Amino acid sequence: MFDLVWLIPLFPLIGFFLNAVFGREWPEKVNGWVGSLSVGASFVVACLILKELLAVDPASRSVEKVVYTWMVSGNLNVPVGFLMDPLGMVMMMVVSGVGFIIHVYSIGYMHGEVGYRRYFCYLNLFVFSMLILVSANNFLLMFVGWEGVGLCSYLLIGYYYEKKSAADAGKKAFVVNRVGDFGFMLGMFLLFVTFGTFNYTEIFAAAPKQLVQGGILVTGITLLLFVGATGKSAQIPLYTWLPDAMEGPTPVSALIHAATMVTAGVYMVARCSILFAMAPISLYTVAVIGGATALYAATIGVTQFDIKRVLAYSTISQLGYMFMACGVGAFASGIFHLMTHAFFKALLFMAAGSVMHAMAGELDMRKMGGLRRQLPWTHWTYIFGTLAIAGIFPFAGFFSKDEILFYAFEKHLGFWIWGAVAAIVTSFYMFRSVFMTFWGESRVDAHTAHHLHESPPIMVAPLVVLAVLSLVGGLVGIPIIPHWHVFGDFLAPVFAPAKSIIDAGAHGGHHSLALELGLMGISLGIAVVGFFLARWMYITNPSAPDEVIKEFKGLHTLVYNKYWIDELYDFLFVNSIVRFSRFLWKYFDDAVIDGIVNGLAALVREWGSGLRRFQTGLIRDYALSVLLGVLAVIGYLVFR
Amino acid sequence: MTFIELYALLPLICLAATPVAALAAIAVSRDHAVVTLVTLIGLGLSFFGLCAVRPLVPMQITPLVVMDGYTLFFVGLILITTAAVALLSYQYLERREGHPEEYYPLLLFAALGACVVAASNHFASFFVGLETLGVSLYALIAYQRAAPRGIEAGIKYLILAATADAILLFGMALIYAKSGSLEFSETATSLAGDYSGLEMAGLALLVSGIAFKLSLVPFHMWTPDVYEGAPAPITGFISTVSKGAVFALLLRYFGEVPAQDFSSVAFCFSAIALASMLAGNLLALLQDNVKRMLAYSSIAHLGYLLVAFLAQRELAVTAVAYYFVAYFLSILGAFGVVGILSGSEGEAEDIKDYQGLIWRRPWIGAVFVTMLLSLAGIPLTAGFVGKFYVLWAGVDSSLWMLVLVLIGTSVIGLFYYLRLIAAMFGSPEAPREELRGRRAGFEAAAAVLGVLTILVIWLGVYPSPLIELIRRSAALSGF
Repeated sequence: MFDLVWLIPLFPLIGFFLNAVFGREWPEKVNGWVGSLSVGASFVVACLILKELLAVDPASRSVEKVVYTWMVSGNLNVPVGFLMDPLGMVMMMVVSGVGFIIHVYSIGYMHGEVGYRRYFCYLNLFVFSMLILVSANNFLLMFVGWEGVGLCSYLLIGYYYEKKSAADAGKKAFVVNRVGDFGFMLGMFLLFVTFGTFNYTEIFAAAPKQLVQGGILVTGITLLLFVGATGKSAQIPLYTWLPDAMEGPTPVSALIHAATMVTAGVYMVARCSILFAMAPISLYTVAVIGGATALYAATIGVTQFDIKRVLAYSTISQLGYMFMACGVGAFASGIFHLMTHAFFKALLFMAAGSVMHAMAGELDMRKMGGLRRQLPWTHWTYIFGTLAIAGIFPFAGFFSKDEILFYAFEKHLGFWIWGAVAAIVTSFYMFRSVFMTFWGESRVDAHTAHHLHESPPIMVAPLVVLAVLSLVGGLVGIPIIPHWHVFGDFLAPVFAPAKSIIDAGAHGGHHSLALELGLMGISLGIAVVGFFLARWMYITNPSAPDEVIKEFKGLHTLVYNKYWIDELYDFLFVNSIVRFSRFLWKYFDDAVIDGIVNGLAALVREWGSGLRRFQTGLIRDYALSVLLGVLAVIGYLVFR
Repeated sequence: MTFIELYALLPLICLAATPVAALAAIAVSRDHAVVTLVTLIGLGLSFFGLCAVRPLVPMQITPLVVMDGYTLFFVGLILITTAAVALLSYQYLERREGHPEEYYPLLLFAALGACVVAASNHFASFFVGLETLGVSLYALIAYQRAAPRGIEAGIKYLILAATADAILLFGMALIYAKSGSLEFSETATSLAGDYSGLEMAGLALLVSGIAFKLSLVPFHMWTPDVYEGAPAPITGFISTVSKGAVFALLLRYFGEVPAQDFSSVAFCFSAIALASMLAGNLLALLQDNVKRMLAYSSIAHLGYLLVAFLAQRELAVTAVAYYFVAYFLSILGAFGVVGILSGSEGEAEDIKDYQGLIWRRPWIGAVFVTMLLSLAGIPLTAGFVGKFYVLWAGVDSSLWMLVLVLIGTSVIGLFYYLRLIAAMFGSPEAPREELRGRRAGFEAAAAVLGVLTILVIWLGVYPSPLIELIRRSAALSGF
């Protein structure tokens, strides 16, 4: 079965081709099922491979399969090869499994949309790229997937191309991601120069011998890679694109901007765990950025009224948790949270999509309320997702989040407090969204209320599946009892080298059972506090929110406007640079300013317009340029 | 010259005979299809000749021309490209006023000149080839006599290229004055080690002249105007064949005369490469005219190639050759699309003409998207592999500054390619076009575009066979 691993990414590609080339004549349903089943087929293959991998002795669960040599020259050899190890398999399972569920949901959700076939083409192309990203056995092939998912994300955010905001959001995502990719590419080439290969196994085996522990080189490489991760996974400071990315269709938000693509950064950091372990400064940076993002994004989530934006900030915040886990050396916990998060966040987004479906596209929670009567299934599944993300026992999020908080506590009390506060806030804003949307008095206008209906079974069934997964998904990682943390034991071999390096540097004592249970109790208590706070504000005492807002007007305005970071970026990178360049080039036409979405683009354009001034169209000027060039070359070579 | 030497020249002889045959065919009867057919048969025969002489290489034929693996590779590339240009031109010319027939002999003469340049290792043959190429190009650029912009572009190119030729000739003269020979290898031995002011001046003029032909900054000014004014297939021809041949020569000359090992010469090339990458990409950002945009982007691409050129020898050859193939395919495809979309009045060059293209003409749109992605260097296209090799060559030789700028400017480059792609995915202003009144030759052009697209993806996914071919070709030459 290992030999057939290439089928996993191939199936979605076949689906893409079928729909792109032959799909025009097919009815909508066929397009949708071809797209969905191709991803489902990948999932089946991934399951079979996992089964076979489990039969292998845990220490040697790392199988490489080279399909063919992609690029070769001299001492360079880049194969198209796949790595099947516990980490890769978890990612493949999550991507293809959750991907399949979301595809099925899309069949119902996108029904009747213009460009139905196009949607499934992009979505399949995305899954293909994502599977390449997580299954590759070398950095260059991973980069292929990395670029591919970026491109698909761009296409899908701008899916409603007639909407200007959608097109702008697509561009913003692309630009911000390119900044991250720049870091990733540099890090990758530094790795290549150092080790002479792109292959994971070879690099990670050679790293402890060739690199100096905590040296400049390994720190530089890991920080550059982390820049790439912050772009893709929407961490401070490159997170601004993700909330805007909600302009795309909701299943896209669920699949790409919550469950899979945005976790690519976490996966990459976990994949390079050994490199990060050797660079304590980088590890510390990862933890701090992750922790800061977790709390920061959660506070913004509290003030938003757009249900998808609440979930978007929540995604950023949860990704921050995952990075914090990696940063404190608990890579397995980060991946565990990645998996449970994929279940419950996809669920929440799709439930939100179901609400939108019923409400004719309405997203503002102030215009909802009391929807639980009309949308019972959506309501209950959304509750399941909320309980999971808030960390209520025994839902999936409880186990994964608790584990992260535990390791954060072990590392430093500060990280724990940081994470715990973020957890209260998370619980609060999630229950707030439940109460505002589904409970209380209905604020739906009469026309919409007339049309309220539960979504069709094809949309509800995926919700139920994910709700079950959100409930039981955490049971693979039961702490305290030995050998019950199946997930952690499965991943342990992958992170063993990194763990030994980190442990060697730490003065780790054994923690007591009481401490572990105590922390668990506290985090459960935290979640409950958040629930009651939200209940008090939005159910018992509906006027409370307004009073609080009035009381803390300044603070609320600050947070509601997302700390004005978008405006700050505009000010820093767009306006000031534009103004400065205007000053420099003030005698040039200002027509070039139109359509600037980004400061870098603005700067670059201004430079370009300066250069363009020389392009007069007159031969004598061109000849002069040639002459000056010749003189410069002669002058340099002869009289140097 | 022995018979075997003459035989080794078979591809060039076939190529030289073809325009004569084509002119004879025109004299008998003016038939567009017949002339095109003669052209294609001639190109096919010389390609066949290429395969036939393969066992004989490497062979020096008179002091003027060398047939080695490297020559064969570039001549093959030129022949294939010329055939593609001829096929793409057919439907383009069909729609326009005037006689289309003489276009083909001119195209063949230009290809012959390019082949001679690629095969030369002597200044005389180099210059003769360059002039054959240049003179044919003047006429081809201005072939649309009714279009004022075409005439303007032709005149511009004529005057500026003549200036550059004068510079080039003077450089050769200076080198000859010192070394007493026009053969590349002999100028190398006499120049070895000691570089006085005179050779340096000669070298500087030579570099400048070549940089003009390659439209490198600051000798690039003619490029956008000529690209814009010339017929779309000819623009494709200029940016591929004419530049490829000159770059092949550059590689050969500086293979014999390793002057780039001198820090000052290397510095000059680095400066030119940096300026080209930056200026090309920055200027392309502002263009609403697709042909001008591609012109600036080609300046940037030549800058990338120069980075590979400055790298260590063996890698440089592989990287340059691969990059050229990728670049040839993509740019040819891009201009092919421009040509196919052009009406009988003017050309489809404004970005507005491409608004919603993917919905109006899905296949053509898909081809164009592929070509642009390849030019931008997105993975799974030939352009990515090419760029990767160039980067790798640069990294391997520790050209850090150039590599950094290459990565940075590629990021900038994505903006304008993507802008065009975004426009194509935008809402169409016109409904889906039914291809009414297909013009003659449309199928041929569409087939060429299809083949180019498949090749671009194929070489992006499975580049090994081409790499292997390049290495074997390099092994059959002096490198």
